[in-house]
Amino acid sequence: MNEHKQNWRLKIGAAASLALLLTACGEKAKIDLSQQLGNNPELPKAQNFLVPPMQVPDGVGWKGAAKPQVVSGLQIEKIASGLLHPRQMLVLPNQDILVVEGNGPGEEAVTSPKQLIAGMVKGRSGKGGKGGNRVTLLRKKAGSTGEWEQHVYIEHLHSPFGIQLVGDTLYIANTGNIMKYRYTPGETKMSDPGTELGDLPSTVNHHWTKALLASPDGKKLYVGIGSNSNITENGLDVEYRRAAVLEVDTATGASRVFASGIRNPTGLQWEPQSGKLWAIANERDEIGADLVPDYMTSVQEKGFYGWPYSYYGQHVDERVKPQRPDMVAKAIKPDYALGSHVAALGLWFYTGTGLPQQYRSGAFVAEHGSWDRTPLSGYQVVYVPFANGMPAGPAQPIVTGFYSADEKSLYGAPVGMAQDAAGALLIADDVGNVIWRVTSAGQK
Amino acid sequence: MMAAHRSSRFSLASAVFELLDPIPFGFFVATLIFDIIYANNANVLWVKAASWLVSIGLIFAIIPQLINLYAVWFNKRRGRMAGEAASFWLNVIGIVAAIINAFVHSRDAYAAMPDGLWLSIVTVVALGIGRIILSGRNVTYKEFSNERA
Repeated sequence: MNEHKQNWRLKIGAAASLALLLTACGEKAKIDLSQQLGNNPELPKAQNFLVPPMQVPDGVGWKGAAKPQVVSGLQIEKIASGLLHPRQMLVLPNQDILVVEGNGPGEEAVTSPKQLIAGMVKGRSGKGGKGGNRVTLLRKKAGSTGEWEQHVYIEHLHSPFGIQLVGDTLYIANTGNIMKYRYTPGETKMSDPGTELGDLPSTVNHHWTKALLASPDGKKLYVGIGSNSNITENGLDVEYRRAAVLEVDTATGASRVFASGIRNPTGLQWEPQSGKLWAIANERDEIGADLVPDYMTSVQEKGFYGWPYSYYGQHVDERVKPQRPDMVAKAIKPDYALGSHVAALGLWFYTGTGLPQQYRSGAFVAEHGSWDRTPLSGYQVVYVPFANGMPAGPAQPIVTGFYSADEKSLYGAPVGMAQDAAGALLIADDVGNVIWRVTSAGQK
Repeated sequence: MMAAHRSSRFSLASAVFELLDPIPFGFFVATLIFDIIYANNANVLWVKAASWLVSIGLIFAIIPQLINLYAVWFNKRRGRMAGEAASFWLNVIGIVAAIINAFVHSRDAYAAMPDGLWLSIVTVVALGIGRIILSGRNVTYKEFSNERA
């Protein structure tokens, strides 16, 4: 009888501890963000979770005249609002600004119960907002301050992201193809219906953005194509020409894989001093609040940067089967870590003279913020100083204040950046649906 | 009188229980089979299917497990039959393992293994033994009814 009772207590105890285990949600981040900046980030051991670390503030937008904070010496103004998920910008030769408004095509099939839940979480943050599938032209009103004129420039696009102008040819990367338009200066509505230059990988589109960068001679386009999964959970067969930078020939539309193993290269830029191609990338989720740091890196032709088999060089990801030691051995370690789950989406090497001296030889990085970390990280624009074509110093926050002090409300989230003739830094904010313009304090 | 007589032979609760209780067990057995296949071939089709199976199995388990909870511990009108308590606790172990398993199956790709496979085994073994223990009860009940008829 006594034995029986003890047995019961054991069972109740076991049940209670299992329940406890269940409620033990993902852990808080332990590593200071500053330890994961630069060329040698501290990487803790990978963990598996029942529920990964998660924190998602509610997307509420900017109320009234509220705006992000900038460091001293700078000022920020709103030049457009009410846009439909603005993500990338292009400053035209006449200083009009094209804003690409798009969000995911929403075509990814729900194939696991987790996707149902994840969709709801994303919707709450405002990051799931419907994209405009269009390009809006912003034109400064002559002699007046405040918001710029908005003209709908191109409509009926399909989850557009990248945009480039080469001579009189405007290229726009939809999620499934590159479109080519004849650009006529001064127009407020594109008169050319456009033709397709070439198709892009568009199955599943788990990561849907197609970043675009033209070579200096205009003969090639480089396209950043994200993976079709976090870490191959949709199978390896849908990863063909994914997690890669493609090189597209502008004369024929033919393409090849230029570099691979970059999980989600959402920003591509030429480093002005070295002339090398640089990419910014979002790394994998769900192995810890402090794993894996997002990064920016120079991109070598035919280079392999690890995804999915390893991260940060040779750190093997056990979630991928079959494992590929041969690929792990080839993986190139990225140049510069930006911190875990900052969701670095935008990269801009600043070449102007409008901003103070200390911002004139380096890169701005827009960190969109991620669901997979608590406390929050990212949701800011940082500046990484460069010397001799390589990062030289820690990233410094420049534009902040995108979420409330209690980390519950999200006002905005920065994505793409550009620079205008006055040297102002333009920032697209796809949660606040705003374009911000950062200038030196006192500059017009 | 008729009503009283009928209620002793037929209750809505036991009808619902008998109808729904086998469903989760079937789902969990299927989960285990799919987990074994995934553990061997690493084709994500199987683990995604397994994650649906374990989740849907749990949804079907809610009502019969609540009926079971009431019948075993709170129904004063009938005595507790031999093995019912042990079976109840085996059900608890099986269901708790399945709940954890649903979360483990939400991990990406092979991160669900081998934990998911072990939890599927625990669930199937615990629920299976629980059913075997009670099978004696069902046989006597059926034989008893047949004699009556």
